[in-house]
Parts: sequence; structure tokens; C-alpha cells
Amino acid sequence: MTLSTPVLWVLFPLTMAALIGVFYQRQVLGIILTCLTAFGLSILAIFFPEDLLITIGSFEIVFTESIGFFGRQITVAVSMLPFISLIYAAAGLWAIISSLPNTPASFRPLSLAITALLTAVMGVEPFLYAALLIQTAVLASIPMLSPFSTVGEKGILRYLTLETFALPLILLAGWMLSGVETLPQDSALVGQTAVVLGLGFALWLGVFPFHSWIPMVGQSTRPNVFTFLMFIIPTTILVFSLNFLNRYTFLRTLPDLDDALRLFGTLMIVIGGFWTAFQEDLRRAFSFSVLTEIGFSLLAVSQFEQGGLTWMLMHFPVRALGFWLWGFTLTALDNYTGSLDRHSLQGIAHQYPILSAGILLSQLSIAGLPLLASFPIKSVLFNTTFIASPSQGVWSFVGNLGLFLFTLRLLASFVRSEIDSQPQNWSLHEKRYEILLVGAAILLLIAFGLFPNTILAPITETLTAFAQLQ
Amino acid sequence: MDALPTLAFIVIVITSMVILVFRDWRINAAALALQYIASFLLVNLSWPIGMAVVKLIVGWMATAAIALTCIRQNKVETSDESSASLFFRGVAGLVAILVIFVLSPTLQEQIFPELDLVIVQSGLMLLGMALMQLGTNTDPYLTIFSLLSFLSGFEIIHAGLERSTLLTGLLAIVNLGLALVGVYFIVKNNPKEAFPAQEEPGK
Repeated sequence: MTLSTPVLWVLFPLTMAALIGVFYQRQVLGIILTCLTAFGLSILAIFFPEDLLITIGSFEIVFTESIGFFGRQITVAVSMLPFISLIYAAAGLWAIISSLPNTPASFRPLSLAITALLTAVMGVEPFLYAALLIQTAVLASIPMLSPFSTVGEKGILRYLTLETFALPLILLAGWMLSGVETLPQDSALVGQTAVVLGLGFALWLGVFPFHSWIPMVGQSTRPNVFTFLMFIIPTTILVFSLNFLNRYTFLRTLPDLDDALRLFGTLMIVIGGFWTAFQEDLRRAFSFSVLTEIGFSLLAVSQFEQGGLTWMLMHFPVRALGFWLWGFTLTALDNYTGSLDRHSLQGIAHQYPILSAGILLSQLSIAGLPLLASFPIKSVLFNTTFIASPSQGVWSFVGNLGLFLFTLRLLASFVRSEIDSQPQNWSLHEKRYEILLVGAAILLLIAFGLFPNTILAPITETLTAFAQLQ
Repeated sequence: MDALPTLAFIVIVITSMVILVFRDWRINAAALALQYIASFLLVNLSWPIGMAVVKLIVGWMATAAIALTCIRQNKVETSDESSASLFFRGVAGLVAILVIFVLSPTLQEQIFPELDLVIVQSGLMLLGMALMQLGTNTDPYLTIFSLLSFLSGFEIIHAGLERSTLLTGLLAIVNLGLALVGVYFIVKNNPKEAFPAQEEPGK
């Protein structure tokens, strides 16, 4: 029997998403099907044999890596499977917390469909057409970001608009790139192509000055939905961007590319960190923290010649876990308290200590506190940035301090022992599964921080798909 | 310039100006439908009619989806527009047209030498006017109309650069997806309709 990997990791989850969509109001069935599909595909991606042959007794399934589609190819290469495993695991993790009240019922099918579309992004040929799949994923995300009965779609319209603007730029850059390869480095067209391409990616990733939709959407959307989207779309776009660096020598050797990426990375960290520090709404604070994360990714890409891409890839599982914990705890706390304003959450740790600890630790992990998951990666990125440009190294460090400052303010509010002269007593109001999930995530955050090479190294195998970037 | 492409270009200028200035969905839907005919004529300069007609059909389907939803929802224009705001948008549109007229020959010469000037002008006109439309409104359906115009402008230029069935198919999906998002927002924002709960209840 012959099958192809795109059928398994693209068409099958899309079909499952359609099936789950049909029964979207049956929550338990939806969660089970989404988790089974997502975790199943994630585990299969980890253990998938390199010779593309699965033998069960006398039954043999031979896999091919490509499938024809409208005269072009969609390929899911074995070398991309570590990354594909990560995004499906993330889809499964977020499906678990879709059981939280007030989560849009469309979240489960759409999150699975978006993951399948973004998997196709990794292997469509010519790879520039992936821009259209990303746009389709963006369109699919709208109903879960703005479900019926919610108001305020201004941020979502801005998100849609800016992401749509990126599409023509990337396709145009693709056409320009085909003519640039043979030109000398000092040709005007080389610079123009780089600018068009850079603009496209800046729009996609919400890089300054196109970042305004991120806090707007973050504030008007359920945190578990928003964190999923803020993990999966930028992460996939960043990996997709490696195609350009890998295929076009002129881009790799562009003299100012690393400087420009580092500058914008630093800018994102400074803007994100500064605004996070002074936020009162926890959802907005998270949104601005996302900006710093994008900034760190840009710093990592800027150091692609010094092994920055390894750090970028190792950062993805850490980011997934941090975002997931944040999304879960914020949504749960919102359901309990009805507000995510810092003032209205004063002394909340006395009633919900586990959820409060989850929020604080996920924030500290994202900020890069020693012993937690992000620390080993962020410390290397700080070091290498400082070596490349001391001033930008200092600025990125200062910007990142904003996350710590916000966490300290949050901690002070959460543990306030007296509100309106009434002493607060400690008690545990969380449900058992919430305690279990938060506890497991905190343990994993610590394990990631203590043994980064052991746990995170497998995802760096994704780089084998990019021969020029290893 | 041949008569037909020139006529298409004039239609594009007029219809994009109409979408920019007016806020009535009936007028705008009619203008968008006309705009897609003009786009089809221009795409047909680069592509065979069989492929170019896909753009027309998809565009009309997108417009029809939004227009029919507006009819179904009895969408009424709530804003009492002053003549000053109409005048402002009109002047802004004229400035945009002027800028595009000035810029197009240079862009065509330096970046798209293989394309006819009328194709570059029409594409840029749609792109520029769509940007202007997006800057002057916050209504979801108008935002979607503007994004459809924006993509239409890009497709006119890109059709002259590359021909691909997969690309045409994917762009059709994106256009129809945008129209569906527009429909979604129109239905969602209509206070007259009662919707089934789409969020899961609290426990």
C-alpha cells in the first residue's frame, strides 16, 4: 500500500477538522477527536521511519513525500517532521484547554485546520505559494477570534488587513527574486527585492510599526485562543522564512541583513518590554510580551551564521509551553473573576494560588528567569547580541527587564494580604484538573530550563531541511 | 493604448472612486461588480480567457455573497454623512489618483518593464485607492470590499508576471474566504438577528 506524507499530515487533519466542525457543539467528542488527531500525528512525526516504510506484521505501507496538486507539488519532507510534530503537539495541548468555559466552539476544528494548512506551508512548491496558505489560515482564524455574541472587531479587522497586505508583497518578492539571483550584489533590484520581502515578513509577524493589531486583538479575544494563534502563526512564518535564506545566496550575503534584523529585533524587545511593564490589563500585557518574543526570534535569525537558528528552533517548544500556560491560567482566572484587570485581581493568590503561580511562572519563563525554560536560550541570545552590537545588547536586556517589572507588579497585587482592611485567608478554589495541568506545565518549564539540550535538541533537526543554513 | 484596456482603466478609476466616496452598500456592490469586469479585461491581456474568467466569476461570487447578505440582513446605512466628509474623501481620492498617475510610468519602467503601462496603472490605481478606502472607514463590509479591491489590483499586475493554475486556485480561495469573513461580520453585527450561542457555556 502506498500513501503520501501530505495525505497524513495535511489532508487527514483537514478532513478531521471538517468532521469536528460538523459536531462543533459536542464538546467532549470534539476535544477527544482533536486531541487524538493532533497528538497522534505529533507522535507519528516523532517516530516516523526515515526510510518511509511502516511494517505491521506482513502489511507494508510505503510512503512518498510528495503529492501532486493542480500541477504543482506539496511535500512533507521527513526532515521537517520535528517541527511538524511540535505544531501538532501544540494543537493538541490547546485542544485540552478548549474545555474551559466561554471558549468559542469553533476553536477546536479551526485550530486543527490552521495547523494542517500551516503544515502545507512547509512543503508547497514553488514555496512562495505558501503565502496563500498562510492567508487562508489567517482567514480561518477569524471566527474563533471573533465569535458571535462578542463585540469589537476593530483589532481583528486590522489584523486581517495587515496580514492581507503581506500576501502581494511576498508573491511580488518571489517574482523579483527569480530575476535577482544572477545580478551583482550592488544592483538596485537586489535592495528593492530585500525591502519588498522584508516588508512582507514585517507585516506577517507584526514587526514595528505594524504591531498595533496584536494588543488590540489580544484584549478582545479569549486568552487561550489568542495564545494559540500567537504561537502557531509567527512560528510557522519564521520557519517558512528560512526557505528564503536557504535558497537565495544573495540574501545570506546581503551586507546589512543581520544589522537590520538585529535592529528590529531590539526595537521589538524594547517596545514590547516597555509597554508590558506598564500594563494594567493582563491580556494586553501578554500581547506586548508577544512583541518581545518576536523580537528575540528576529535576534536569533540575525545571528544565523553564528548558530542563531538552532536557538530559534530550540526556543519554539519553550514558547509553546509558556504561551499555553499563560493562555490556560488567564482564561481560567477570567472565568472565575470576570476580569483580568490587575486592580481587580488584588489578593487573588489567596483564593487561586495555583492559577496565580501559573501566570507568574509563565511570565517569568517568557522573561527568561534563571532555572526556567527560556533562560538558557535568551542568555545566549543576549550574549551574542552584545558581542555583535554592545548598545543593542544593552537595549534588548533593558527592554526584557520590562517583563520582570510587570511580573513583580503582578506579584505584589496577587499576594496583597489586606483588601479594604479585610485580611485575606489562603484557600484553594481551583478544580483538580486545573491543579494537575498547571503543576505539570510548571514542572516541564523547570525541566526545560535544567536540561535544555536533552529535551529541546531534537527540534533542531529541522535545520537539516535547509542545507545552506546548518 | 487599445480602446478596451483604456475603457477598463477608466471603469477602475470611477468604480474605486465610488467605493471610496459613498457608503451605501448597494452602490458599492454595483461598483465592485463593475470593477471585476474591468479587472477581467485587463487580466485577459496576459492570460487566456479560460483562466481570466475565473477572476471574474470569483469576484462576482464574492460581491454577490456580501450583497445578498446585506439584503438578507436588511442592512441600513446608519451614518448621517455630511457633505463635508463626502467632499473630503472625494478630494483624497483625487489626490491618490494624481499620485498614481505620476508614479506609474516610473514604476513600470524600472520594475515592470515587461508589462503594459495600462496594466501597471490599473493595478496601482486599485491598490492605492483600496489603501485610501481602508484608511477612511471602519465598517467591516467596506473593509472587506477594500481588501477585495486591493487583491484585485495585485492580481492584475501579477497576472502579467506569472501564470499558474495553482496560484489562480489559491487566490480564488483567498478572495472567497475574504467574502465569507465579510458575510460573517455583517451577520454578527446585525442586532436584529438572534444567534445560537457559539461559545460554550460556563460551568
